Amino acid sequence: MNGYLKRKTEEYRSLDSADKRRYWIDGLLNNALYILMAAFIIFTAVVNSNFLSASAIANVLTLAAASLPMALGIGGCIVLTGTDLSGGRVFGLAAAMSAAFLQNRAATKLIFEHLPNTTGPWIIAVLALVMLAGAVIGLVNGFFVAKFSLHPFIVTLATQLITYGVILMFFQINGNGGGPISNVAKLFKDAVSGPVIRIESKNVAIPWYVVYAFALVLIMWFVWNKTTFGKNMFAVGSNPEAARVSGVNVFRTTVTVHTLAGALYGFAGFVEAARLGSITASTGLNNECDAIAACVIGGVSFVGGTGNIGGIVVGVFVLRIIFVALNMLGINPNLQFIIKGGIILAACSLDMRKYLARK
Amino acid sequence: MKKILALLLALTMVFSLGAAAFAEEEVDVSGLKVGVFWYAFSDPFLSTVRASLNEQLEEAGIAYDDFDANNTQATQLEQVQTAVTNGYNVLVVNLVTSGSADAAEQILQAAGDLPVIFFNRAVEGDGEEHTVLDEHENISFIGTDAPEAGHMQGKMIGEFLVENYDDIDLNKDGSISYAMFMGDAANVEAIYRTQYGVEDANAVLAENDKPELVYFNESNTDKYQLDPNGAWSNAAAFDFMSTNLAEYSEGNGNMIELVIANNDDMALGAIAALQAAGYNMGDGESTKIPVFGVDATQVAQDAIAADQMTGTVKQDNVGMASAITGTLKGIAAGDAMADAVAAVAESDDMFSVAEGFANKLYVAYAPFTGE
Repeated sequence: MNGYLKRKTEEYRSLDSADKRRYWIDGLLNNALYILMAAFIIFTAVVNSNFLSASAIANVLTLAAASLPMALGIGGCIVLTGTDLSGGRVFGLAAAMSAAFLQNRAATKLIFEHLPNTTGPWIIAVLALVMLAGAVIGLVNGFFVAKFSLHPFIVTLATQLITYGVILMFFQINGNGGGPISNVAKLFKDAVSGPVIRIESKNVAIPWYVVYAFALVLIMWFVWNKTTFGKNMFAVGSNPEAARVSGVNVFRTTVTVHTLAGALYGFAGFVEAARLGSITASTGLNNECDAIAACVIGGVSFVGGTGNIGGIVVGVFVLRIIFVALNMLGINPNLQFIIKGGIILAACSLDMRKYLARK
Repeated sequence: MKKILALLLALTMVFSLGAAAFAEEEVDVSGLKVGVFWYAFSDPFLSTVRASLNEQLEEAGIAYDDFDANNTQATQLEQVQTAVTNGYNVLVVNLVTSGSADAAEQILQAAGDLPVIFFNRAVEGDGEEHTVLDEHENISFIGTDAPEAGHMQGKMIGEFLVENYDDIDLNKDGSISYAMFMGDAANVEAIYRTQYGVEDANAVLAENDKPELVYFNESNTDKYQLDPNGAWSNAAAFDFMSTNLAEYSEGNGNMIELVIANNDDMALGAIAALQAAGYNMGDGESTKIPVFGVDATQVAQDAIAADQMTGTVKQDNVGMASAITGTLKGIAAGDAMADAVAAVAESDDMFSVAEGFANKLYVAYAPFTGE
C-alpha cells in the first residue's frame, strides 16, 4: 500500500504543469458524483440537523434495503447491454403471491382457502415459490433474447404486459374482485419486516430485510466476481462475438442472467408483501425504472461489460438519500423529478466520458 | 359511415321501443350491447365496483364487455372509437382524466349519438359545471359529489379530535400536528379531499375553541406528500411516512399526531410505517396515531376492527353498480336519459339528483368508523 502511494506520488511529480492540471480535473470529474453527494449531504445536514440522526440513517438504510434486490437483479441485464422492463410487474406478481399464500388464516377475505397455517417452513416454501415464479419469467426473457437475438427492450416489454395481465387475473381469484390482498400472517411480518435491532431511546428500528439485503449483496458480489458465470457475463457484455469465439456459452449465460434477475425480483416482491402488508395490482409499477436508474448512477454502463456490485449499492443509496433529503428539506415533489433526472443524466455523461477519453 | 351509423341507431331504437311496448313488467334488455370503459383495472375500489356491476349485469341479462384504459386517456378514447365501430350501443365510461371537460367531449364526439353514462370520475372540473352535462341530451353522470368525501372526512376528523383532544395531543403543546397523503395531483377528488379534509376539521375545531391543525413539517409549504406516480399507492405513503418518522417521534417531542390520507390504501401504507416504528399495533398497549382514509375497502374495515385505523368514508360500490344497472334498464325501456336517472334516484335514499341538473346522479358517501 505504501509502495503504491509512493509510486503514485512519483508519477504525479514527473508530470508537467498542464498534465498536472488535467490530473486534477480528471480526478474531480471521475468522482464528481461522490463529491456532489457529499456536498448535498453536508448541505442537507446543515439545514436540517435531523438528517444525520441515528433514526434518519436507519431509515435510509431500510429504504435502500427494500430496493436493493431489484437493482442487483437488473444490473446483470444492463451488463449484457440489455435492460429489463418486466421487473416491476414481476415484483408486483411476487408480492401478490406472497401476500396471498401467507395470509393470516383468520382473515375475513382469503384468496386461497385451503392452505396450511403459517409456519417457518411454509414461509420458506412460499419464498422459494415466488422466486421460482420470477425465475420462470426471467427464463422466458432470457430465452427469447438469446435464441432469437431480440433486443431485451422488446422481449421484456412483452413479458411486462403479459405479467400484468396475470396479476390482474390473480387479483380476481376467489371473488376478490381486484381488491387489495392484505392481512398477512404475523409470523411472516416478524420474520421479514420485524426489527432485528430496536433502540427505543433513539427511535431506531432496523428490520430483518436489511440483513437479507446485505446477505444478497455478498452473494451477488461473489457471483459476479468469483464465479465462471460472472466472468462469462462480463465477457458476453463487452463483446458477445469474442466471448463466443473464446468458448463462452453465450446462450446459457444470457438465459442465466435473466433467470437470476427474475428470481431476485421475486425476492424483492416477497419482502414488499411483508413490508407493506397490503398489496394491490399496481404494486411494483415503475419499480424497474428506479432500479435501472440506481444501476447507471452506480456506473453499470449500457456500453456493456462494465459495472460492479459496489456501484449498484452506491446507486441505490444515492437515490434513497435524495428522496429522504428532499423530503426533509421540504422541497416540492415536482422538483424532485427534475433533480432525479438531472442526476441520472449527469452520472451517465460522466460515466461515458471515461470511455470516450480512453479512446 | 354516418348514414350507416344513423340507420343502425334508428334500428336499435325501433327494436328497443318495440320491445318496451310488448314487455309489460320485465324490460327487454336483449337489444343492449354495453361497453364499460374503466380507467384502470388495477384500482382497488373500482375493481369492487366492477365485480358488483358485472354480477348485476349478468343477472339482468345485459350483454356487456369491460375495457381497461390502464390509466391512459388516449387509450380510452381509442377503445371508445373501436367500440362504436364494433356495434356497442350504450357506453358506460369511467373517464381517465377526472374532471376534464375536454376529455369528456372527445369521448362524446367519438360516441356520436349513442347514450353515454359517465361514472365515478368527474367529467366537469371546478368552474366547468354544466359545460358538458347540459350540452348533450343523451348522457348522464353517476358518481359522488366530488367534494363530499373530503367534507365528510374533515368533519369526522374534527369531531374525533374534539372528543379525544388531550389523548391525541401527545406532546401537550395544545395543537395537533398532522401528515397528509395525496393520491394524485391531477384528480379533482384528490384535490378536494386534500383541501377539505383539513379545512372542515379546522372548522369543527374552531367551533370548539381549539387551535387549527398544524402540518408537521413547516418547511413543506404544500402541506401534503404526493404519490409521484399518481397511483394513490400504499408504497408511496409507506416510504414518506417512514421517512417522516425518522425525524418526528415522541422522543423528539414532535411526533405526528394525526394522519389523513386521500384513500384507504395510502392510509394503510402509513399504518404499515407506523407499525414498523412500534405504533398502531392494535394490541391495546402501543400508542395509536389516528389514521383516516376514504373508500372503506374491506382491508380498511378490517384495520379499523383491529384497532389500527380510526375512520374512513364509505363509498358504496354496490350502490354505484346498481345505479348504473338501473339507468341501463331505463335506456333499454326507451326512457329518455333524464327520466332513467330520475327513476333510479326515486328507487333508493342513497341516490339523489344533483341540484340544477337533470342527468347527474349522486351516490351518497357515509362516514365509517366501524361502529
